[in-house]
Amino acid sequence: MASTPADRHDTDADGTSVGRRSFLRWVSGVGAAISGVLVGIPVVRSFVSPVLIKPVATGWIKVADDTALLDVGAPVRVDFVKEQSDAWIESIAQNSVWLYSDDGEKFKAYNPRCTHLGCAYFYDKDTKTFGCPCHRGQFDVKTGAVLGGPPPRPLDELPVEVRDGVVFVQYKEFRLGIPERREA
Amino acid sequence: MSISRWIDERIDLQQLRADLIDRRVPWGLTWWHTLGSATLTVFMVQVVTGVVMAMYYAPSPDHAYDSIRYIEHSVQSGSLLRGIHHWGASAMVVLVLAHMIRVFSLGSFKYPREMSWLLGVGLLFIVLGFSFTGYLLPWDQKAYWATQVGTNIAGSAPLIGGLMVKLLRGGAQLGAATLTRFFSLHVLLLPLLLIGFALLHISLVIRQGMAPRPLALEEGAPARTNDPAYADYYHERYAKTKAADTRFWPDMIAKDVVVATVIILALFLMAYFVGAGLEPPADPSDTSYVPLPEWYFLPFFQLLKLVPGKFEAVVTVGVPALIVFVLVLLPFFDRRSKRSLFHRPLAAAVLAGTLFGSGLLLYGALRADRENVRLAATTGVPLTSLERAGRALVKSQNCSACHLIGDQKPDSSGDVNKAPSLNEVGFRHTAGWLHSFIESPTRFHPDSKMPSYGLPKLSHMEMEEVARYLSTLRGKHAMSEAPQIVDTFPEPVKKMEH
Repeated sequence: MASTPADRHDTDADGTSVGRRSFLRWVSGVGAAISGVLVGIPVVRSFVSPVLIKPVATGWIKVADDTALLDVGAPVRVDFVKEQSDAWIESIAQNSVWLYSDDGEKFKAYNPRCTHLGCAYFYDKDTKTFGCPCHRGQFDVKTGAVLGGPPPRPLDELPVEVRDGVVFVQYKEFRLGIPERREA
Repeated sequence: MSISRWIDERIDLQQLRADLIDRRVPWGLTWWHTLGSATLTVFMVQVVTGVVMAMYYAPSPDHAYDSIRYIEHSVQSGSLLRGIHHWGASAMVVLVLAHMIRVFSLGSFKYPREMSWLLGVGLLFIVLGFSFTGYLLPWDQKAYWATQVGTNIAGSAPLIGGLMVKLLRGGAQLGAATLTRFFSLHVLLLPLLLIGFALLHISLVIRQGMAPRPLALEEGAPARTNDPAYADYYHERYAKTKAADTRFWPDMIAKDVVVATVIILALFLMAYFVGAGLEPPADPSDTSYVPLPEWYFLPFFQLLKLVPGKFEAVVTVGVPALIVFVLVLLPFFDRRSKRSLFHRPLAAAVLAGTLFGSGLLLYGALRADRENVRLAATTGVPLTSLERAGRALVKSQNCSACHLIGDQKPDSSGDVNKAPSLNEVGFRHTAGWLHSFIESPTRFHPDSKMPSYGLPKLSHMEMEEVARYLSTLRGKHAMSEAPQIVDTFPEPVKKMEH
């Protein structure tokens, strides 16, 4: 309040101003760093949030009511209804899996997308294989192994459980077009 | 360091640094001089938090609310992010006003800074525009109904009212087109305008230098700033204020940073401990919601209540127009060279009067708001015919002899102390439970002193009416929360074995 140009000038002109100014620089730096962290943490965390959020464990989905009604020795595509949440949009979507059984007791379930680029594949009755119409990928119905075409890995098998004749599947999506099986 | 040399050779960073960072500023700048840079800092905080929020926001009535909930609950640090943006909005308004008050009080808007003042007035209204458009985006009850009122205020303007409403809402009704319109204004137009205005505003500050303390420009000054001799006087005196070697960096910046850090810390704490809040989703069919604007619009809102209806347009159009008029004309009207508020008694009186009046209106609005909540708590939302019949029965059966219901204080004849207040009973119990309780209180509480109001005192229809009415009494929770029902029914009475 009482400082005038003159006495202000004195303090600034002598050697102490160096110490004072380096202190002010230090204060500015510390303040800026604190502010940066306080704002930076929520901003960066929420920006990279999609990477931080772990996918919710998928539960068992009932895909068939009775194993007795399913074909044996030939794959069957079964449709089911799944509740999907796409960020803030909750929706109900129809989805499907391929089931295959040799004996009507033990089942295999495959994700219905071709591991090449994600097209839906079909059962070819003549060759008794799965065929993908997009790029002529071919898979074995018993093991899911690649028999021909560009797919980089076998079909994606899904966990299956049969309880009292009811078939449950844990539906999962995998990254496509790569040789390894990684959950998407 | 060769990269910086390479750049320096081309765009002369050294000179830029000398002009922008190392420039001298007048001696004796106070903490009040940090408010402008604090506003800029908070704006930058609003930009970064806003950009990330926009990544998770859907400006459409069927998704806006859910996307905000997603930010609050699913995005990591999302509620903190939104909280900072929410409180940052309030901080912007407070800081802009405080900055204006500082500039007004120290006479800094006078020669040669009239243009800075005008740009600043523009910035004030841009910031208010941000606040008004941002308020709608969460699409909750508060957002929807406050914007209904806000746009209707524009609609009350004579002649152009109807046009204004349609222009603001993007149609006759508040809806999808309003939300996208406000979103576009909030994230595209207003930021561009603000950045443009702020750049001009700041470049003027750099070009003209910061305004010195008022007394440095008063001694021996010509009486008026439009006196031909004033320019010479000003430049000579202004140069002297810079004689002391006070530099922008670090002398001023250190102060700026300290203030900005304190503000950001406050925003962070408010965001962490209070948050931004989110009411139930907008329900256009809800006729009982009492909307309130953001608190800094409350003085204006309160003023509307104080004028008779036929003069409403005077307030809705006249007051904002008057404010713009006064603010814009101020630097051309007040050209006396006295700068200190102590030497400008009229200015001091106007400032004090404005602050006191706004404070009084704000206080009145907040008190009226509490009154509204209390009203809603005791009489509830518009009642159905069943509930109204129940209210009549509660009166005729003299329930308030023992119970506290709304303003009906228990009279001394009843057992006042033991009977619970019924003002929040609907928050805890359903009508079904209340019906059973009224019919036979001792079934629920063996020690209850309440007599049974079952047959033949009241018919089942009448008990149902009373129960329905009581279930509307939700106290201060009326609008904000879903009821938390704690109904417990006693075990069914077993028939005695023979």
